[in-house]
Amino acid sequence: MVNNWYTQYTSDKQPAATLVGRIRPARLKALAFGLLCLFLPLLGQAQTMRAISGKVVDGQSVGLPGVTILVPGTSTGTSSGADGTFQLQVPESATTLSFSFVGYAAQQVDITGKTTVSVSMKDDAQALNEIVVVGYGTARKQDLTGAVAVLGEKDFNRGTFTSPEQLLQGRVSGVQVSNNSGQPGGPSTIRIRGNSAVTGSGQPLYVVDGVPLDGRTARPGLQASTDVGAGADSNPLNFLNPDDIETFTVLKDASATAIYGSRAAFGVVLITTKKGSAGAPVLSVGASTGFSTLLRRPAYLDAGQYRQALAKYGLPTSGPTSSDKGGNVNALDEILRTGRLQNYNVAMSGGNETGRYRLSLGYLDQDGIVRKSGFKKYSANLSTNFQFLESKKLGLDVNIATSQFREELPSITTDAGYRGSLIGQALQWNPTQPLRNPDGSLYIVAGDVVNPLAAQELYNDRSRVNTVLASISPSYRFADWLQYRMLLSVNYNNGERRTSINQRLINYPGIEDQGFAAISNNELVTQQLAHTLNFNKALTTDLNLNAVLGYEYTRFANTTSNVRAFGKPGEGGIPGGFGVYGLDYTNYIQYSAAGSRLIESSTDPTYALQSFFGRAILNYKNRYVLTGTLRRDESSKFGKNQSVGYFPSFAAAWDLSQEDFFPSDKLSQLKLRAGYGLTGNQEFPAGAAQNRYNLDNDGAQSPLTARNPNLKWQADAQFNVGIDIGAFNNRLTFSADYFNKTTTDLLFPRIPGEPRPGLFPVFWDNLDGKIVNKGVEMALGTALVRTEKVDVGLNVNSTFIRNEVSGLFGPAIVTGAINGQGLSGATSQLIRNGYPINAFFLPQYNGLTDAGLSKPFGAEAYGGSPNPRTLLGLSANARYGKFSLVANMTGVFGHYIYNNTLNAVGAVGGIGAGKNIALSTFENSIKEATGNPSAASTRYLEKGDFLKMSNLTLSYAVGNLGSFVKGARVYATGQNLFVLTSYNGFDPEVNTVKLGTNKVPSVGNDYLPYPSARTFTFGVNFNL
Amino acid sequence: MKYAKIACAAALLALLQGASSCELNENLGSQITDDQVRSSGLSALLQGAYNSQRDPIQGHVSVFALQEVSTDARIMPTRGPDWDDNGKWRALFNHTWDANNERVRETYTQLNGILYATTDLLRFSPTTQQAAEARFLRAWASFLVLDLYDQVLYREPGEQLSELARVRKGTVALDYIVSEINAVQASLPDAPVSRATKDAARVLLMKCYLNKGVYANRAAPTFAAADMNQVIRLADEIINSNRYSFTPNFFDNFAPNNGAIGLENIFTQANTFGNSGATRDLWKFVSHYNMRPVDGYNGPATTAAFYDLFEATDKRRGMAYDIAGGPANPGRRVNVGFLIGQQYNLITDAPLTIRSGAPLIFTKDINLSETGADLEAKGVRPIKYPVDYVSEAKGGNGCENDHVSFRLADVLLMKAEAILRGGAATSAGTYGATPLAIVNFIRTHPSRGASARTTMDLNELIDERGRELYSESWRRQDLIRFGKFLQPRKDKAASDPKYLIYPVPQTQVDINSNIIQNPGY
Repeated sequence: MVNNWYTQYTSDKQPAATLVGRIRPARLKALAFGLLCLFLPLLGQAQTMRAISGKVVDGQSVGLPGVTILVPGTSTGTSSGADGTFQLQVPESATTLSFSFVGYAAQQVDITGKTTVSVSMKDDAQALNEIVVVGYGTARKQDLTGAVAVLGEKDFNRGTFTSPEQLLQGRVSGVQVSNNSGQPGGPSTIRIRGNSAVTGSGQPLYVVDGVPLDGRTARPGLQASTDVGAGADSNPLNFLNPDDIETFTVLKDASATAIYGSRAAFGVVLITTKKGSAGAPVLSVGASTGFSTLLRRPAYLDAGQYRQALAKYGLPTSGPTSSDKGGNVNALDEILRTGRLQNYNVAMSGGNETGRYRLSLGYLDQDGIVRKSGFKKYSANLSTNFQFLESKKLGLDVNIATSQFREELPSITTDAGYRGSLIGQALQWNPTQPLRNPDGSLYIVAGDVVNPLAAQELYNDRSRVNTVLASISPSYRFADWLQYRMLLSVNYNNGERRTSINQRLINYPGIEDQGFAAISNNELVTQQLAHTLNFNKALTTDLNLNAVLGYEYTRFANTTSNVRAFGKPGEGGIPGGFGVYGLDYTNYIQYSAAGSRLIESSTDPTYALQSFFGRAILNYKNRYVLTGTLRRDESSKFGKNQSVGYFPSFAAAWDLSQEDFFPSDKLSQLKLRAGYGLTGNQEFPAGAAQNRYNLDNDGAQSPLTARNPNLKWQADAQFNVGIDIGAFNNRLTFSADYFNKTTTDLLFPRIPGEPRPGLFPVFWDNLDGKIVNKGVEMALGTALVRTEKVDVGLNVNSTFIRNEVSGLFGPAIVTGAINGQGLSGATSQLIRNGYPINAFFLPQYNGLTDAGLSKPFGAEAYGGSPNPRTLLGLSANARYGKFSLVANMTGVFGHYIYNNTLNAVGAVGGIGAGKNIALSTFENSIKEATGNPSAASTRYLEKGDFLKMSNLTLSYAVGNLGSFVKGARVYATGQNLFVLTSYNGFDPEVNTVKLGTNKVPSVGNDYLPYPSARTFTFGVNFNL
Repeated sequence: MKYAKIACAAALLALLQGASSCELNENLGSQITDDQVRSSGLSALLQGAYNSQRDPIQGHVSVFALQEVSTDARIMPTRGPDWDDNGKWRALFNHTWDANNERVRETYTQLNGILYATTDLLRFSPTTQQAAEARFLRAWASFLVLDLYDQVLYREPGEQLSELARVRKGTVALDYIVSEINAVQASLPDAPVSRATKDAARVLLMKCYLNKGVYANRAAPTFAAADMNQVIRLADEIINSNRYSFTPNFFDNFAPNNGAIGLENIFTQANTFGNSGATRDLWKFVSHYNMRPVDGYNGPATTAAFYDLFEATDKRRGMAYDIAGGPANPGRRVNVGFLIGQQYNLITDAPLTIRSGAPLIFTKDINLSETGADLEAKGVRPIKYPVDYVSEAKGGNGCENDHVSFRLADVLLMKAEAILRGGAATSAGTYGATPLAIVNFIRTHPSRGASARTTMDLNELIDERGRELYSESWRRQDLIRFGKFLQPRKDKAASDPKYLIYPVPQTQVDINSNIIQNPGY
C-alpha cells in the first residue's frame, strides 16, 4: 500500500454529510456516529502529480516517524513512516516541502527538481513558529502574550508513572508537583504559582483535548469500621495513560487562564493526547519492566538498641513484665517488599489526508512497595480525525479514552488515631516481639498495639474505577480563516470499592469474631457542550487577528452509595462472624448481622455552568501583540444575586528583535510581555446558597446550611510581566516572569456568629481578606554542544515565591490537625494576617529538664512556613553517538514540615507502653522521662529543604533491526535515586493532606505516609 | 461574501445554543429545602431538633467535660504519651482554661446548634405542641448556655445568619427562659420521658429557681424564699403525679435498657444502636486499654477525695451488675460505679495487666500529670452507665443506654435543698417532709443501701448530691451554688472568681460586636 494518497471525495460519496445532519445532543448517538465514521472507507484518487520520497531522521540519525510533511499552502501532505521514510505525490508546481514535528524546529526543504530528499530534524524546545494549544483554540508561540509553558514528550520525566502529572514534576518553572503518597496511583498536590487555596483542592483545572475535567475521582472513600481513619484520596488523572500524552500546556498567568474563567484560579493544564498522522500504519510498541524499593526510612530502634533502651529508661529488662520478648524483627521490612512493575503500550496510527486514526492500548501493573498494595491500569484510547466534503470543509474528530484502574489499597490513612495505621504500627512495633508465633501463625493479642503484619494480611481493600472520556467534535470551515467547531463530551467515571477486615484482627472495635465488610459505589459524570467560532486572518499585510468566540454548558453529577456491616456476634460459645471460609467478606455481605448494617446514599445537588467567552489576539508586524479575553460564567451553585461572573484579561507583548533598530544577528527573539487578568474559583459544594436540610438516619431532618444568596466567586487577580530571549539560533533560550497574584473574596465555610446549624460550620461565604502570591520564575534552556555525534544540553528552571495573607476579618483560620495518641485537638497551622498561608503556629519547645521532662513550652508563636520559597528544576541531557543520558533533579527549599510521625509514634512514651521509639529520641543527650508527654510543639517542626534525583535515564538507540523493527531504543531509568535533605521523616516531598472539620486543607504535615519508593525501569521501544 | 459566512456561522451558533437545554436551576438531590420541610409536617424536623441535643449533652467531651471535669468528681490527667491533647483537659481540671480552649469553644458551638435548630423550626408553621416542644428544647439549651457562659445568643426565627445575634445575659436570660417554659408548659405532652414533657418543664423550672441567685451574683449568691417555694411547689407537683418511682437497682436508671426499667428518669434522650449519641464515651474513656471484653482509652478517673465521700455499703460506689448480653463476670467483679484495685477479664476472670505487663491495679492516687511507670493504672474509674456489651459487640457504633438529664432523686434533693435554703417544708408522696427525711429516703432505699444520716445541712447535702448525681453533668453547677467551686483541691490552687463563668469562645467575640467577653478573660 502506498501511503501518499492525495484524496478527495466525489459528490456521490459523501455519506458523512447526511449523517452530520442527524447530530443531536444525545451523547450516545453522537458516539455511535463517531464510531461509524471510523469505519468509513478511506477513499483516494490520484491527480496530475509527481512522486517524491525521502527519509526524516532525528538528531541521532534515527528515522523519525510521524513527522508531518506538507506542500506549503495546500493540504497535500503525509507523515513519515515507522522508519522515517515517506513517499508523497506532490503537484508538479510544488517547490518546497515543510517538515514539522512537535519538539523539533519546523523546516522547509527545496524540492525543485528532486525526487528524493533527506531531512534531519533539529531539537528545538523554543521553536517560535510552533503552534501552541491555548484555551479553545491554538496560537502561534510568537503570538503568546501570557505565561505559558509547553512541554513535549522529550521534556517529560522518564520512568514508570501511574498518572500523567508526574511527567511534569520539576520541569516547569512556577509549578510545584508533590506526591501526597508513595503509593502507586496516589494523589499529587500541584501548585501553580504558590498556594492560594484556603479551601478546596487548590489544584489546576485539567483540560484533556478540550474537555475540562471535574477534578474529583470516582474512587469511593474508605468506609472502614470505626477508628481506622480516613483514607487518602485517589488521583483524578489516574485514568489517563501517560504514554498517550503528546504535550502539556501549562497556563500560568491570568491573561492565559482567564478564558477558563471561574475554574481557572489555580492555573490550567491543557493535556493534548497523541493523534494519528497521515501515512502508512505505524505500530509503536513499548515494553518495560522494573522494580521498586524503599527510598528512605526514619531510624527507629532495632532489637539490640531496644534492649539497651529498656535498660537506659529503667524498664524491666527480663522477666514476664519486660518488654524484651527475645526476638529480633524489623516490622517495617516485614510489611514492605521489592515491588515489580511491568508496562506495555501498543499504538497503531495512520491514515491519509482525510482520515487519521490512532488506537493505543496500555497495560500497567505496578506493585507497591508495601505488600498487598498495587496499581493496575488497562487503557484503550482511540482518536480519529476525519475531513468530509470535496472541499474538506467539514471535519469530525472523535476521541474515546477508556480505562480501568484497579488498586489494592493498604491500611494507611491520613489521620489515624492511637492505633496508628499500618506504617505507624510497623514503626512502633517492639523489635524484640516476633510477628508470628512459633507455629507460623500471626501473633495477635487484644489491645491497642496492632501487629502490622496482621493488620496487613487481615485487611483487604480493593477498588476499581472505570472511566470513559468520549468526545465528538464536528467542525466546519467556512473559509480558510473562519471555522466553527462543536464539542460534545461526556466523562463517565464509575468506581467501586470493597473493604473487609478479617474477624481475626481483634485489635479493632467490633472485629473480634465478627469481621467487617463494606461496599461503596460512586458515579461521577461530567457532560459538556461547547460551540466555538475561530477566526484567523490577516486583516492587512501587517495586522493579523486570531480570535475565538464561544459558548459552553457543563453539567456535573456525583452519586454515591455504600453498604457496610459487621458479622453476626458470637453467642454462647458459638463463634460468630463472617466465618473462616477463606472468602472475601464483601462477596457475601448478606451473611452479616442485620442490625449492624449501615446503608447510605447521596447525590450532589445539581451543578451546571453556562459560559460565553471570547478572545482576540492582534499581531502587528510580528512585533506588537495584543490579547484580550473575556468570559462570562453563570453557575447554578451561586446565590441568585451573584450567579454571574465576568473574567476579563488583557496582555501585550513586544518583540524587540523584530525591530529594525535591533541587531538581530545573534538574538532570534527578545520579547517583553505584560498582562493582567481576573479568574475565579468556585470550589465549594453545590447547594450552599440555599437553606438545606439533611435527611438523617431513622427519619429526622436537621438543618445543614443556612442560605447565602449573596455567595459569589472567589476572585484571583494576577499581574504578570515577562521576558523571552532566544539567542544563537535558539540554542540559548531564557524566560523570566514576575507575577503578583492576589486572591480576594475567599470562598470559605465561615463559622458564622452563633447560633448556627450544629452539624458543620458550613455557611459558605466570601471572606474579606486577601492572599498574595508574588514571585519570579525563570527558565533557561541551552544546547551547549550540538553536533552530529555529540549533544549536550542543560535546562534550569527556578521559582522564588512569597506568600502572605492579609485583611482577614475575624479569628485566624485553624488548620493542620495533628493526629495520634494524646494529640487530639492539637493543631499546627493558622491562616492569619501578616503571615504566609498555613503558617505554622506552635508552642515553642525549650528543651528538656535534667529530669527528662519538657521545660515549660513558650507561648504559641510563628514557627515557619510550609510553603517553599524556592523551587528548582535541573535537567541535563547528553548524547554521544547512539548513547544518551537524561538527568532530572527537583529541589524545593525554604519551607518547614511538621513531623507528626515522630511526634505521634517516635516519642519516648512509646517505650513505656511496650512500643518502639525513634532512634533520635533514644540518642537524645538528656535521658528523657518515659512519662514525658509528647505534646505538639516546635520540637517536631523540621526544615524541609531537599534536592531529589528525580530520574536518570541511559538509553541506546539501536536503530533498525532486521527488516521490520524500526527505530528501536533500549533504556534504563532510575527514579527517586536519592534525596539530599536533613529531614528525618520518610520523604520531605510527601504531603499528607488533612481536612479539618472546617474543610481547610493542611500543607506540609507528614503523618505516617505510604513511603516513597526508588524505582528502576528497563525498557525497549520500537516501531513496526 | 465574507459577512455572509460570518452571519451564517453566527446563526448556526445561536441556533445550536437555543437547541441545547441549558438548565441552571439547582436541585439538591439528596437534601431538602424549605418547601419540602414545610410540606413534610415538621415531625421529622422536630426529631432533628431533639437529636441536636446529642453532641453537646451526651458523651464525655462537651457539657459533661465542662460540668464534671472542672470539679473534684472527674479528673482527666495526662498519662505520659497519652491524653495530653494539647492540654485542654488539664486546663479544665485546674481552672486555667481560656477563650481558645477547644472544649469551651466546641461545647458553645454545639449548644448553639440546639438553639439554631429549635429557633429555625419556629420559622415554619408548627402545631402548638411542636412549637411548645421546640421552645422547651430551646429554653433547656439556653439554660445550659447561661449556666456555663452567662451569655445566651439569640436570633428571632427567620433572621439571616449574616445578622449579628443579640445577647441575653444573666438574670435577663433566666427571666426569658422562665417565661418561655411557663408559656409552653401547658401545651407539652405528659409522656414519654424522652420527649419534652410537662414534668421535664417542671424540673427545668426548678433548676432555674434554685440557681436564680447564682445567675444574679455567682461569687456570693443569695436565695429568695419565694424562689425556694417555687422549687418545692414544682417538686411536689412531680411527686404527686406518681409517674416516677425508685428502681430496685440504682444502675437500672442508666442501663442499656433504661428506657424500660429506668423508673426514676424524667427527661432523657432515647438511644438505639445506630441512632444514638456518644453516651458510650462514658465507659470507653475511663476503661483501660486492656480491659475485656470492652477495652477503652484509659483516660479520666475520679479524685481520691471524691471517692472517699462514699461509705463502703453505698451501692452507688460500685457493684457487680448483670447486663443482658454481657459477659458472665464469674468473679462477680465490680463493673459499675467506681472501679478500684486489681481488674479482671470479665469473661474469664483472669487478672489484667497494663501494657508493660505489670498488674492492672487502679489506685486512688492520681495526679494531673502522670509520668511514672504505673501511669496507666492510676486513678479510680467511674462507670455510671453500665456497658452496653451487645452494641459494643456490633462494632461500637453507639449504645442503647438512654442519656439521662432529669431524674426523680435530683428533684427530691432539690426540694430538700430549697427547704434548707429557706423554703417552706411540705409533705408530698412518701418521701418525707424534712431535708433529712428526704435525703435518708434516698440513701436508705435498697437500691442505694447507704446508712441513714442523723443531721442534714448544706455541707452534707452537697456531698449527697455528689454521691447521687456524679457523672450526670451537675457537679460544677452544684459546687458553684454551694460556694465550693473555687476552693483549692489537689492539683488545683484556689481559683480566680472569673472561672465561675466560662469565657465566650474567642471565635465568637471576634465576629460579634454584641458580645462583650466575660470579665477577666
